[in-house]
Formats: sequence, structure tokens, C-alpha cells
Amino acid sequence: MPKLEIDGKPVEVPAGTNLIEAAKRLNIEIPHYCFHPGLSVVGSCRMCQVEVELNGRKSLVIGCNTAAADGMKVIINSDVVERTRRSVLEFYLQNHPLDCPICDDAGECDLQNYYMRYGLHDSRVELDEKRHKHKVHDVGPTVVLDSERCILCSRCARFCREIAGVDELGIFSHGGESELMNVPGKLLENDYAGNVVDLCPVGALTDKDFRFKRRVWYLQRTPSVCMGCSRGCNIYVDWETERSYKNPQRRIQRLKPRFNRLVNEWWMCDRGRYSYHAVDAENRLRTLRTKSDTDPHTTLDQILERAAAKIKTAISKHGAKSVAVLGSAHSSNEDLFLLKKLFAEHLKVQSMDVTLGKEPKGKEDEILMKADLAPNRRGALEIGVGPWSDSTISGDDILSGALDGDYEVLIVVGHDITRGLSAKEQAKLDQNCDYILYLGTHDNATCALADDVISIAMWAEREASYTNFQGRVQKTQQPFPPLGEALCEWRVWNELGKKLGFTVPYLNVDDVFDAIGGSIASFKGLTWEGLGAEGKMLTGVAEPPYRKVQSAHPLAAY
Amino acid sequence: MSGNGSVRLLSRHFGLPGQTHIETAMKRGAYEQFKRALKMKPEEVTALVKASGLRGHGGAGFSAGLKWSFVPKDVFPRYVTVNGDESEPGTCKDRLIFEYDPHLLIEGALICAWAVQAERVYIYIRGEYFYPARIMQTAIDEARAKGFIGDNILGSGWSCAVYLATGAGQYICGEETGLLESLEGKKGWPRLKPPFYPAAIGLWGKPTIVNNVETLAYVPRILEIGADKFLAMGTPKAGGPTLFSLSGCVKKPGVYELPTGVPLKTLIYEYGGGITENRKLKAVIPGGSSSHILTAEECEDLKLDFESVAAAGSMLGSAAVMVLDETISIPQLMVWMVRFYAHESCGQCTPCREGTGWLLRLATRIADGRGRKRDLDDLYELADNIDGKTVCALGAAVAWPTKSYIKKFRPEFEALIKQ
Repeated sequence: MPKLEIDGKPVEVPAGTNLIEAAKRLNIEIPHYCFHPGLSVVGSCRMCQVEVELNGRKSLVIGCNTAAADGMKVIINSDVVERTRRSVLEFYLQNHPLDCPICDDAGECDLQNYYMRYGLHDSRVELDEKRHKHKVHDVGPTVVLDSERCILCSRCARFCREIAGVDELGIFSHGGESELMNVPGKLLENDYAGNVVDLCPVGALTDKDFRFKRRVWYLQRTPSVCMGCSRGCNIYVDWETERSYKNPQRRIQRLKPRFNRLVNEWWMCDRGRYSYHAVDAENRLRTLRTKSDTDPHTTLDQILERAAAKIKTAISKHGAKSVAVLGSAHSSNEDLFLLKKLFAEHLKVQSMDVTLGKEPKGKEDEILMKADLAPNRRGALEIGVGPWSDSTISGDDILSGALDGDYEVLIVVGHDITRGLSAKEQAKLDQNCDYILYLGTHDNATCALADDVISIAMWAEREASYTNFQGRVQKTQQPFPPLGEALCEWRVWNELGKKLGFTVPYLNVDDVFDAIGGSIASFKGLTWEGLGAEGKMLTGVAEPPYRKVQSAHPLAAY
Repeated sequence: MSGNGSVRLLSRHFGLPGQTHIETAMKRGAYEQFKRALKMKPEEVTALVKASGLRGHGGAGFSAGLKWSFVPKDVFPRYVTVNGDESEPGTCKDRLIFEYDPHLLIEGALICAWAVQAERVYIYIRGEYFYPARIMQTAIDEARAKGFIGDNILGSGWSCAVYLATGAGQYICGEETGLLESLEGKKGWPRLKPPFYPAAIGLWGKPTIVNNVETLAYVPRILEIGADKFLAMGTPKAGGPTLFSLSGCVKKPGVYELPTGVPLKTLIYEYGGGITENRKLKAVIPGGSSSHILTAEECEDLKLDFESVAAAGSMLGSAAVMVLDETISIPQLMVWMVRFYAHESCGQCTPCREGTGWLLRLATRIADGRGRKRDLDDLYELADNIDGKTVCALGAAVAWPTKSYIKKFRPEFEALIKQ
């Protein structure tokens, strides 16, 4: 482990660490553009040049391609370094359009930030002699390129080649005419295309989904977890609710990946990236609904009262087997835990599952995407509501049983059970089931079929924890309150339980989570606080191995 | 061609009829040294070349034998790459070797391949050399038919293939790692250094010897005359003669094979026949367009070897001597020079990509008489900001001439800038 000194502060780093990464450990930033820890080192931006003193020899090196060595003194703020940095920035600005006022990246642009911090404020930039290139070029269905803003760091091209495994972007022509472009005949349309926008240090690549929608300095950022599939990529929810003059319906403005070495590294897929539209979709359920009452002002209390009465009657008449619960693998650990507590343990309901055979499946690949689109099936398994739990009746059995009139009361969470059913079958279901309670987020045919509908909060509107396919328990935070009358699923079970003589002492999500830790073996030792930003593995589940980041160039031994 | 009294070692058979054909060339001794080398141990060949003091004629002047000995043990396959991407303005010597004595080059490359036990030789010719490429290809085919290339060469048990590769017309592919990238089928962008030596990590990550055409063409001659005799033909630190490409304002421009360390005045006045129309010497660019310019005073007693030229503040480089007489405008020369580098910048790293274009704008403005007072200082500072801060040496290649022109001929620039 080489010991070195950066900016006068000692630090010890593993062999092979470059100077940028070593400085990061001391919370010192060596400015850089082309370097990215997840990509190969090309050393082309020349921004990370620092002075290095070793064995009495002092020289200017690039931080990204220089490995930390024992006894090295890294000087990051000498006159030479500052002048070099300033000159690189000046070179960049020579041909940069300086259209910051209309650039989407303004506010989070590294060129802007570094120039403000290190640049030459008595500018020599000649505005009339700039080079002109492509301005609005569609590189793919989701991303737009402004070639004049591009600083040719090649991060995007390297991402496509090294991470997404496709050859879609490249730098063409040479010298001052160099330009980022699509590889001839190819569009930027891989499943991870959105990452190039995150990687772009300037406003050259912008996301069609976000461009011209909000200035980034109005955005608020909440760490969360992607609900797009069972991987549970760590993300940031960037949201803004106050400036509603544009897209008043839209609270989430974009999702950005959040680094987690063991789950998603620096990346996320486009399927997850644009999945947030569902949160602010027009067909979100905002109010409670009921069929059995003409009064439009149904309250939650009325619905729960009715549901409790129906359940009580059914059980007293036909036993617990006349009640079936179809939970959801999209629900959080807390939801599923209370679902199990109330129905399986208190009411002794046997017919309970979260999986339906006809649930949609997604694309799966070696990078991030999983075919299972539900974020918490592993959680359901561990808690004991899942398809592999003690329950011998599967979700599909419950549904066919309901069609045959086996159940008096059917409780459905999330699933659109009408999918794949003919109108005749739907009518049969309506007729054969005495009472259907539906808890959902979006309007669908099941809402119309159900006797009562309770709107529940979506992932971005609540705090909750989810268990990904690896067995990692991760928590989301709440950026903003639920739409309309929607509320968290576990609170519904809490309230319903009170009406059924089952009192649960939980006030908040952390109470519920800590209770899971106390009663489910694989959650033992986990606490809400302890989950932290990166989540924790279930007890007895090994952490997945690191994926090695490949570098095209071996690191320099200085 | 060579004038009276010049050395005729490498260029011995230049211009002789039929020299490009293997039969004729073999009658004159081609491939004899290769046959001898095959009977020697590879290390002996390397040791001989090291002892001869042969230094690279491509520009950097690195000891050839030393380079060959950098090849790591037990790493195979190994490659030899002949750098024939001769593109530095002023340099025109490799072309003559391609055109006049292709078999000498193939022989030299094969000896090198034997010395480092390479299994493949790539001869990389610049894209614009169509005619030389054709000659080389014919020569390679002939040598293959004779059994000098291929499997189990001359019963030695060693196999080596030789391939010809042409560039697409880019100066940067003459930079050795840019050349390797180009050979690998990629864009000719120079690689990051370190790793410094392709001899350790080169083509496809394998040990690769990259040598200039002229350097390798000297190798058969070293075997022929012996290391001591070869060393004696140059200076103690750089053995053998050098092909000087003499151009500019001289009566007889051309390529002259002379002992390394020949006085500049001898080259210009004796071989070059003196300055055009007997005008006054103003300056000399001694080692290709990227070297520092030397004023007439600085050239007075200059000897053309690596150390003497370096001591005078420039470099011998590829030994392309450009002579400038009193009628040459240095600011105009700078525009020409910078335009070349701005056009040839590969665009990989920022200072060179953005800086060369900016330099050109400033230089043009000054030469056109539209310069502003501060432009000259800006120009110098910009060149300094590029110098040594780039991936490859091309950044320095544009910075050095720019800086030295301004430093040494400042009044000329100032006269053009309106006060």
C-alpha cells in the first residue's frame, strides 16, 4: 500500500490507485473530464494535470494515468498546475458556444463549474472565430447531441463500447474538425443509452425526456431505489413541485443513477430511467372508490368497516378458506410483513400469494436488467408471502378458484386480474365473489370490477424497504406526499387490522421494519437506521462479487 | 544524389539498374548478411548493433540495439514494425530507400526480426507513397519466393512473415504508438504514455520493435563492415553515416549520405552548392520542421550530430536540414508551419486540438498585418501551454518552432504588427 502526500496531507491507498482516486479519499478533487472510474483511461482531456515530486524530481503528470507511489508528493495547486489548468479551460472555451443561459446542463456543467473555479476571467476568447459543427443532432431516440458544446472527452463512446457492449458512438474526423457522431448506420439505442447523458460533463448530450423542462438548480434530490425490476438499482429522484408553469402534473423530473458498487455501479438502464412517468401518470388513482355506495364521499373508514364486516361474515360462515389474498411483489417489505401478520397469522387465511403466471416479464441481460419486473419478490419469499412460501395455493389457483366461486372475499393488491379474462369470465368473477377489495395505484379494469378501491402510494411517495434479487435490503426515501387520498399499503392493513381485532403497535415505517428484523430469520439484525444509503444483505446471504472495471491502458508506474 | 566525397554505405546501390529486382540485388550482395545473421545467435546480432552505435534516424535518435534489448523475455509473439510513415516536412530520405533499394530494407528488417525472434514484420508506408508501396510489395513477394520470408527460413527453423501496410495519409501515424493503433485497424491516435516502450507493450499488447526505415536499412551494412568500422563512420555516440535531406534555399537540394557529425557549412556549401543566388544565410532548421530554428550565427560552427545540435538548442531529428536565406519571412514561415500542424493534429487531446487552430488564427493575423499588440505574447504563451502537456510529442512539435521563431526573430514579427 503506497503512502503518499496529496496537497500536504498524507494518505495510504491500495497499489494501482491513480492520483484522482487517491485524492478523492482525502475529499480533494482533482478536476477532470475524460476520466471516469467506471471506464478505461484515455488521458485526453489534460485537465487533471498535477505536479508530482518523487526522489527529488518534479514533473507535470496527468492524475488519471499516474499510479500512486510510495513517497510521492502530489501538488495540486502550484502556479504551474494552476496555469496549466487555466490554459486547458481556455482551449476548451475557444470553440465552445457559451450558450449557458439556454443550455440544459448549466448548473451541473463541469466546464462551467471548473471555469468559474479555475478559469481565466480576463478572457482572451475570440467570439467571432468559433468553429461550427452540428447543433441539434438526434443520436438516438432518447438523446440529442449538440456537437459544438462537446469537449470530445469520449466518455459516451467508451461507455457504449465498454459497458453497454455496442459500437454506437465514436469520434470522427481529426484535429479541430473532430466530432462525436453515430457510428455510420447505427443509432444510440442500446438499453443503457441514457447513461451517456449522465456521463457527459457538458451539455452536449441531453435527454429528450428532460431537456428544456427545468433548470437544474430548482431540482431537489432524494436518494431512492429504482422499481423497474428486481435488481433495485440505486438512484436519485430529482423532483420539483413548486414551479408548475410547465408540466404541472409532473413532480419527478428525472431519475439519475446513484453509485452502488455492488448493485449497479454508476449506471442504470433506460427502462428504469423512464419508469418514473408512472408516478405522475394521468390514470393514477387519486380517490377512494366504491361500487356498493352511491355516496361519492366514501371515506377510508367506511370502506374498511365494510371490508372487515365482509371478512368476518365470510370466516364465520365458511371458515378462513373463503378468503383469498393476492398480494403484490411490488409492495415493500413492510407492506408484505403486515399483510402476512394480519391475514396469515391473525385470520389464518391460507390462500395467499404475490405471483400471477401472467405477470408481464421484461428483458434480461448480463449488465443490469432482470426479467422479473417486480422489485420485491425476494422480500415476499423471505417474509413468507411469496410463491415459495408455506402456502400451497398459488396466485393462479386463487384466481381460478375465485372464478369458480371458491371465495367469498378476494383482496387484490396491484395486480390487474382482469388481464387475459374475457368479458364473460369477468362477469362470472363479479358474480361468484361476494366482495372484492382492490388496492392499487393506477386506474384499470380491476378497479371497475372491485367493490371497493383504495388508492395506495407509489414508491416515490413513501419511505419503504425492498429486497432485491440478490438479497440486498435497500430503502427508499420520501420526496413528496402521495397524490390525493392515496396512502401507504401497510397503513391500510394496520387500520383494517384494528377493525378485525388485531392491534398492531406500529406508528412509522421504521417500527415495522424493526419488527421484521425481530421476527423473520433472514432479516435478523437489520434495522431501519442500519440499512444506510447502500442497503444491507439479508442475514446469511453472501455479498455478490465486485465486477472488475476493465481499463484499456495499464496504469503508469511513475 | 550524393556529391563528391560523400559516404556511400547505405546508398551504395542507389540508382543502379535493376536494384529493385531480387536477382540483380542478390548479385550485388543482398541477403548475404541476413544469411550470416541466421548463423549467429540472436543476442549476438543485438550486441553487434548495440556496439555499432546505430541510433534511430526517425527523429528521437534512440539507440537501436538498446531498443532491441528491451524486449521482455518469454513474451511471445513479438513483432517488428518498420516505420515508413515519413511525413515530417523536409524529410524525404526513406522514400529513396523504398524506391532504390527495397531489398536492403527487407534484409535489415529480417535481421532485426531474427535478433528479437519476432514472428511477423510489418512495413508501414505512408498513404501518399503509392509508387514506393508498389515497389515494396513486389520486393516482398520476390523475397518470399526466394525463401527469405515464410516458414523455416533457410532451414533455420525460424519462421517470419512480412506484410506491407499503408496508412491513410496522416502525419500522426508516424508517431510510433499512433502507427501501432493504425496497424491494429484503429484511428491513428497515439497511445498514452507510459507504457513508454512498444518494445515491451506494443502491437496488440505484445513486444514490438518500431524502427525507422533508414535505421533498419543500415543493419545489413553493420554486419557487413563490422561494428567498429561503422562506429568510426560517425561520432562516438552515434555510429555510421546519416542520410541528410537538404532542402530550402540551396542550389542543389537532395538527400546526401554523409558521416554523422559533418559540419553544417560543409553540407550547405560543399554538397548543396551554396545558397540560391548566393544570398545570405538567414537561418537553418536542422532536424525537420518541428525542430527549433537556428540563426545564421548559431550555425556558424555547427556539426550535425545529435549532441552538437542539441547543445546549439535544437535537435537533429530526422536530419532534414532546411536552409532559409535572407528573403524568407519568418512570420510567413510560421503560418505555413502551424497550418501543417493544425491540419495534422489528430484531435485526441485538448491542448493540441484546440490550440493549433488558435495558433494558426493568430499567426495568420500577424503575417497578414492585422495583428494586435498583444498577439505576439499570446502566441508565445499559447505555444507554451501546448508544449509538453499533450499525449504525444506533436504538441511539442508545433510549440518548438513557434516559440523559437518568436524568440529569435521577434523584431520581424513586431514590424508586422501595427503599433
